Amino acid sequence: MDLGLADFAVDYAIKLGASYADARMESTSNSGFLLRNGVPQISGFDRVTGLGLRVIVNNTLGFVSINQIEKEKVRTLVERGMKVTKNAARIKEEIKLSDEEVHEDKYEVKQKINLEDASPAEKLSVLLEIEKAVESSGIKVPGSYLSLSDFTTQKYFVNSYGAKIESKIPRTDYFFFLTVKENGKSGQRYWQYGAAGGFETILDKDFPGLMLNEVKTTAKMLKDGVKPPKGKIDLVVGPQVTGIMVHESAGHPHEADRIFGREAAQAGESYLTKDNLGSAIGNEIVNISDDPTIEGSFGYYLYDDEGVRARKKALIKNGISNELLHNRETAEALRVKSNGSARATSYDREAIVRMSNTFLEEGDHKEEELIEGVKKGVYMKNFTEWNIDDRRVNQKYVGSEAYIIENGKITAPAFMPTIEIKTHDLWRAVDAIADNTEHSAGTCGKAEPMQAIPVWFGGPSFRMRGIRLSEYP
Amino acid sequence: MREIAEKIEKKFKNSGADDVIVTIGEEEKTQIKFSNNKVSATQTWQSMNVSLFAAIDKRLVLTSIHAFSQEIIDETIKKLLKFAKATEQNKEYSGIAKGPFKYQEREGTYDKAVAELAEKDVDLVEKGISTALSNGAKRTAGVLETTKSKVYLRTSNSVEAEEKGTKIHFSIRAFTDNEASGHYVATARMLKDCNIESAAARAAEIAKKARNPLPIKQGKYDVLFEPLPASNIIEQMGVAASAFNVESGLSCLAEKIGSKVASKEVTILDDATLPGGMGAASFDAEGVPTQTNTIIENGVLKTYLHNTSTAKRYNTVTTANAGIVSPEPFNIVLKKGSFIKEELFEQIKRGLWITNVWYTRFSNYDSGDFSTIPRDGIFLIENGKIKSPVKDIRVSENLLGMFRNVSAIGEDAERVMGWEVETPVFTPPIVVKDVNITKSAE
Repeated sequence: MDLGLADFAVDYAIKLGASYADARMESTSNSGFLLRNGVPQISGFDRVTGLGLRVIVNNTLGFVSINQIEKEKVRTLVERGMKVTKNAARIKEEIKLSDEEVHEDKYEVKQKINLEDASPAEKLSVLLEIEKAVESSGIKVPGSYLSLSDFTTQKYFVNSYGAKIESKIPRTDYFFFLTVKENGKSGQRYWQYGAAGGFETILDKDFPGLMLNEVKTTAKMLKDGVKPPKGKIDLVVGPQVTGIMVHESAGHPHEADRIFGREAAQAGESYLTKDNLGSAIGNEIVNISDDPTIEGSFGYYLYDDEGVRARKKALIKNGISNELLHNRETAEALRVKSNGSARATSYDREAIVRMSNTFLEEGDHKEEELIEGVKKGVYMKNFTEWNIDDRRVNQKYVGSEAYIIENGKITAPAFMPTIEIKTHDLWRAVDAIADNTEHSAGTCGKAEPMQAIPVWFGGPSFRMRGIRLSEYP
Repeated sequence: MREIAEKIEKKFKNSGADDVIVTIGEEEKTQIKFSNNKVSATQTWQSMNVSLFAAIDKRLVLTSIHAFSQEIIDETIKKLLKFAKATEQNKEYSGIAKGPFKYQEREGTYDKAVAELAEKDVDLVEKGISTALSNGAKRTAGVLETTKSKVYLRTSNSVEAEEKGTKIHFSIRAFTDNEASGHYVATARMLKDCNIESAAARAAEIAKKARNPLPIKQGKYDVLFEPLPASNIIEQMGVAASAFNVESGLSCLAEKIGSKVASKEVTILDDATLPGGMGAASFDAEGVPTQTNTIIENGVLKTYLHNTSTAKRYNTVTTANAGIVSPEPFNIVLKKGSFIKEELFEQIKRGLWITNVWYTRFSNYDSGDFSTIPRDGIFLIENGKIKSPVKDIRVSENLLGMFRNVSAIGEDAERVMGWEVETPVFTPPIVVKDVNITKSAE
């Protein structure tokens, strides 16, 4: 990458009259493998390089990008960006960005085994080994879809205040989708594992063992699963369920751009409004945070895509909504500083407010203690279908691996216990939190055009009292 | 474009690849995003992508090239060959279609007026916002996107194809308060077919009616789905028809060819030939001329969607829906019925009118169990009339069950594409009996 062309783009935009400009030059190289029902389908590799430029002209914001980085094309790009932004100015929202410290820095995620040094054969063999384990179960698995990919992004951010940040973040991503038949019924299970780091992040995990267990468990749920109890019960959820609940009902609604209506058309808004910031969301033992600086995490970064230094944010503190996720635009609107939450999925997308690694803070209970304290209830270890409305109030989670709890003991598998609940009811019902934090990888969708970004979501197991389950149709 | 593709394809063929597909796409896209009645971002993209597929002794590899010097082309080919050698055979692969083919230009898919719209797009956005406001909306949010694209495809099996197209997509959500909104899209290939003012007015009308929504009891309701929510559900059926998804456990249509999978009212096509169709195209990813495929005819499943390889596995011929690995629908069409809008309402004694949904998720693709969340205006209907707006509900259903309960289809179809409708759908509003409605526990 010729970083000088990013500098040139910013300087040229200022020369043409922009009051602010920033440029992101990115190069992402990736490789990917797909194994379906034991047959390697297709593999691929790619390197995508491009430049995205943001300008403020007449207090209005414009964004342009190209994937052919040559000086003349960059020059044309800047001119085009200035023109379309000026043109839209008459009906544009006035944009002001918060003043932030100017950083010059360079960082890189270390790889024990460089992703580029691991051969395609080695990467594919990870999937072939998993498939072998699945087959060894002796269970009927008519659908097995396994994918492994890695992508390494080198990025250079520069703005007209003098910020210059260089970074290199390699990431790995494993996804499986299994269909299991048992008892004349089918059951499906999928999950994603992702991390920042080299090929060791794949090798260090016992994926064959994990997948064998997934197949066996899915079959057991189909074979022995009983209907979950009706009426009010207690519900203990495992870290995967905790993670999705946190992400959907606490993380998204704390994105400040939703609250200001900027994503109103599609991603939606929030139960939080300008008038109820700082209101109670749940029980005082509920603390929910977002932290991009966790080493090895899928949502890792040290500076956001506006050059602001990343830090941990306490979104919900002692049950109270405490801090929103901000970029420079939303921060200025609330007269606060950005907390470094601006992210873009690629050079050709604008940086908007995103989560990174969002989780429920640990309590001091053991998971067993949560279960021991339940007379009649359900333990939902993980989930399958879920959704939530666009103000982040009404949500649904369907259990995948789940069990009946009777008098403090797990007694039988529960077949697809389903919870439909409002956000405040959920977090108010929490009465005990365990100490077994686990993070899951996800690809979070937001914005138009869609930006699917790597995140972690997680936390420990926790218990809710007095929950009414829905009937699985 | 032609010279670059030819150079790459020849170079490749000489290096020992069995099949080669070079696809060059050029695109110019502009998006104006608005919120709170103001433009919040203008974005433009100019890109040129050369995607390269090669099969070397049944080892399939995909990559792309973004610069076109001889040196870079040589280096990419070298890397691809090395990469292919290190992977394993796809024994399910049966090659790509043999050309040459003749193509028919798809009617109404390129409009100079869209291609040359340039900065006039801001005027259209302004018109959309002001129409919504004058129809009672308090605030609006949405996008206007215009796209001009060219694609050129060349394969090692004597196939050469090219086409150009334009698209214009307007999406507007109108709010009358925090809990009351309406959403409408106007999406077209030709500028004259993109009725921005009508979409804006309808979004505002829905939002006005949606004020002060009430909770309802869960249970079974007859539902009138507008084209926007209907598309979200119909698209799932089109995607389930891909033979690759059938083989992967990702379809509720497995082992159902010749079976009844919907009510007799339902005929679903994948029609890449549809004049002005958002997904209309003259060739698939192997360069096979596209056709009209009847997926479901009067409720009976007729075919899956195939490429050359999946067709071979099913002892049939390609339906011209390649995707190299997974066949894909182009343009899903629900055949029109005979009901005018008032008659559709009259079908509902006590039920719901749903104007949008989102977040459609399956707990089991094989059985078709899923749920989706109605959003924007939802209304309780009694004896064909709107009784009150409704909130906080969910459709918790089975895809096959729902299609078996389709009881009436409107006579006016609309083109829908959107955030969650990735494959374009052309559908009228539909009435589905006994839809299972659930809600959060009290």
